[in-house]
Amino acid sequence: MKGLTLERRAAAGVREVLAVPVLSVLGGLLLGAIFLRATGHDPVAVYREMVTGTLTTSYGLADTVTTSIPLILAGLAAAVAFRVNLYNIGGEGQIYLGAVAATGATLWVGDTAPAVVQLPVLLVAGAAGGAAWIAVPALLRAWFGTNETITTLMLNLVALYLVQYLILGSHSFWRDPDSPTFPKGKPLPDAARLATFGTTSVHLGLVVALAAVGVVAFVLRKLRLGLDMKIMGDAPDAARYAGIPVRRTMVVVLLASGALAGLAGAVEVGGRTHQLDPNGTAVGFGYTGIIVAALARLSPVGVVVTAVLLGVLENSKSVLQTMSDQVPLAITTMLEGAILIFAIGGEILVRHRIRRRTAPVTPAAQETAVGETAAVETAAEETAR
Amino acid sequence: MAEVQPLIAAEGIVKTFPGVVANDHVDVEVLPGEIHALLGENGAGKSTLAAVLTGLYRPDAGRVLVDGREVTIRSPRQGLALGIGMVHQHFRLVPRLTVAENVLLGDPDAPRLLRARQVEQRVAELAVRYGLDVHPAARVGDLTVGERQRVEIVKTLYRGARVLLLDEPTAVLTPQEAQALFTTVRAMAAEGKGVVFISHKLSEVQAVSDRVTVMRDGRVIGRVPTAGTDRHELARMMVGREVDLSPRRAAAPPGDVVLALDGVSAGAAGGRGRLEQLSLSVRRGEIVGVAGVSGNGQRALAEVVAGLRTPDAGTVRIAGTDTTGRGPQAARAAGLAYAPEDRNGTGLAPSLSVAENMVLTRTTDRLVRMGRARAAARAAIEAYQIKAPGPDAPTRSLSGGNVQKVLLARELATSPDVLVVCSPTWGLDVGAVEFVRGRLDRLRAEGAGVLLISEDLDEVRALSDRICVLHSGRIVLETAGEGADVAQLGLAMMGDRA
Repeated sequence: MKGLTLERRAAAGVREVLAVPVLSVLGGLLLGAIFLRATGHDPVAVYREMVTGTLTTSYGLADTVTTSIPLILAGLAAAVAFRVNLYNIGGEGQIYLGAVAATGATLWVGDTAPAVVQLPVLLVAGAAGGAAWIAVPALLRAWFGTNETITTLMLNLVALYLVQYLILGSHSFWRDPDSPTFPKGKPLPDAARLATFGTTSVHLGLVVALAAVGVVAFVLRKLRLGLDMKIMGDAPDAARYAGIPVRRTMVVVLLASGALAGLAGAVEVGGRTHQLDPNGTAVGFGYTGIIVAALARLSPVGVVVTAVLLGVLENSKSVLQTMSDQVPLAITTMLEGAILIFAIGGEILVRHRIRRRTAPVTPAAQETAVGETAAVETAAEETAR
Repeated sequence: MAEVQPLIAAEGIVKTFPGVVANDHVDVEVLPGEIHALLGENGAGKSTLAAVLTGLYRPDAGRVLVDGREVTIRSPRQGLALGIGMVHQHFRLVPRLTVAENVLLGDPDAPRLLRARQVEQRVAELAVRYGLDVHPAARVGDLTVGERQRVEIVKTLYRGARVLLLDEPTAVLTPQEAQALFTTVRAMAAEGKGVVFISHKLSEVQAVSDRVTVMRDGRVIGRVPTAGTDRHELARMMVGREVDLSPRRAAAPPGDVVLALDGVSAGAAGGRGRLEQLSLSVRRGEIVGVAGVSGNGQRALAEVVAGLRTPDAGTVRIAGTDTTGRGPQAARAAGLAYAPEDRNGTGLAPSLSVAENMVLTRTTDRLVRMGRARAAARAAIEAYQIKAPGPDAPTRSLSGGNVQKVLLARELATSPDVLVVCSPTWGLDVGAVEFVRGRLDRLRAEGAGVLLISEDLDEVRALSDRICVLHSGRIVLETAGEGADVAQLGLAMMGDRA
């Protein structure tokens, strides 16, 4: 009757915390290597190409950083909500609506307004658009307990079709009237465009994203709202007991999450596409943001690192297209998926340890064993200090 | 007694877990017809020894003898085959099945084709023989906790157990049920069976056992015949120092009413745990104990006072302020402190540090001042002698007694006018029980009113100046704490109006 059991760890150390993202990436790469080998490619060569193409050339590196800008914001959006066990899967839709609102507002303000007016308009409208898109799911969740995972996910499709309708299906305010044959978005006023660094594609959105990381980190560490979020995420009964306004906090957190995603949409149109593009606006970034957040273990600073990592994967698609033998582009999507699965599975190992059991274990015996180990670990930590 | 062959004997048992010696050369023996109490605090090694005797754990050293022959017990099933059965604190029963079906469940010798009637008949026979009041055809899900425990005992007897180990069997029982259990245990002993009675409660060890083995820190501290033992002496052996668990009452007459419930009804209409037109008051300098079997409205009572539940009718006044349904912050602002039964999960957030938990309820702050929170945590660790690595340790890493100390330290830091406290010493070591009781007594002396809600009658009787018995959401008996009649309280807990 030998077997393995999971035991809760008293506390996870730095090593465990770092091990999961690193091992998840390695695990994903290994899985990808098996796939590449099976389809007749040399995994080492493909991976080398992906890394050199996205990180070692100045052009590739700039593109990687540019891609990671919306990923940082989308990752933050997911991390903020997930910390409170609110699963906003609607980052994708909120990014679209952020883009719709940002383009709409800056176009409405017009060409004459200066950048000092247009840039705040771009960002505030983007955030507001994203927040508005999650408002209904947020209120439904807080007051009726409606599953936010499903409502936010469903609204992604609505958002996608809305954007396509605005550009492809109608002569809306967003559509460029000067291009009747090839439907595309009206170009953004120059003043609403985010400046780029030198000749690279990296734009001011990077500053916006890093500032957002700073704000989120500050709120989580220093404000009572951050502690309330921590309590709600850990023990909902304790939140109720303490008298935390649970519903209000849920709505605030979800609106903030939506606003961060909306901001991602705004910096994409302001910094990269310069129009509401039904095909090119951050396609899939909302979902990739979830991977970014999970891999960063919902840490706002960690999001910056994992966003760059996922930026590499996203950008290696174009790198792979230039390779001589036809490497399937699906490999990058596969890697992302595999890494996410490993990251989620690895979470269990951060919080628990595997123990070989030597006797048929009954629940009560397990309880005492866990208690004993917890005590031992605490003692060990004590000596370590 | 020396010439009598022990039913089971353990010699020099050593069992270690990483970093902990749970059993350090432990000897114990159970004679036929003997009720042998195993007395000790949490973590003293009682449960580990029981697990070794029943085959759950294999000892690192030492041997187990059954009827004088050395045996290796590889599993609880093999233990049962040797005649050693155990009734655990947490029952292993399937609620949807009947008593007879549960008895049969897991019996390796059970016929493939179940003859329900035969089993029911045998179960009924056993029940009569040992005074175990259970109906074999009843569904376990419909039974009370006491009845379920009887099913567990029948289960082991049905399989022919000659030695029965009972792990903290009275923890969940009413006094009447405990008395019935003692009768059963004595009936088994009278037939020559051996009983190991594991407990940390001195009173019941004295009431039921023939011999006591006292354990502390994995070692046997002493073994004495129960007759003629001094309770004080047993407590000292168990804890390793002098402990004072004598009842404490208010030294001065109580003052003004500081908590008043008037005609409070709350909870799902007609549902279990509802309050029905309940009126109750607590005065300054007074501890009012609320006794009762769980599920009779205790939770609703605590939550209505704490502002976590809005009553359907009636009012709650805390130190003169009407706080009815105005939320936990209003209740706290009026002078309430509340230590719920679920300490780590409701009273505290288990993943958060001691420091963060010290400011858990300061929800109106804008900023979190971690420096101050840590200072408060350090002060609490010092004042309450909390065993914690430091202010940044998550409370889930602390033991039960230390968790309760963190919770009380926070709740009492505000010098409350009213404290509502639920099962404050449940699951705690004797040392921690003494500490918590002392702290509640001090709060009373300082002029606060305390509402002590507990299923443990000993706990209620040890501190209360007045005792109210709650049944089906009503107070069915109110009596002075001093000299309260246990039998009368027990009957009231079962719903008999005195």
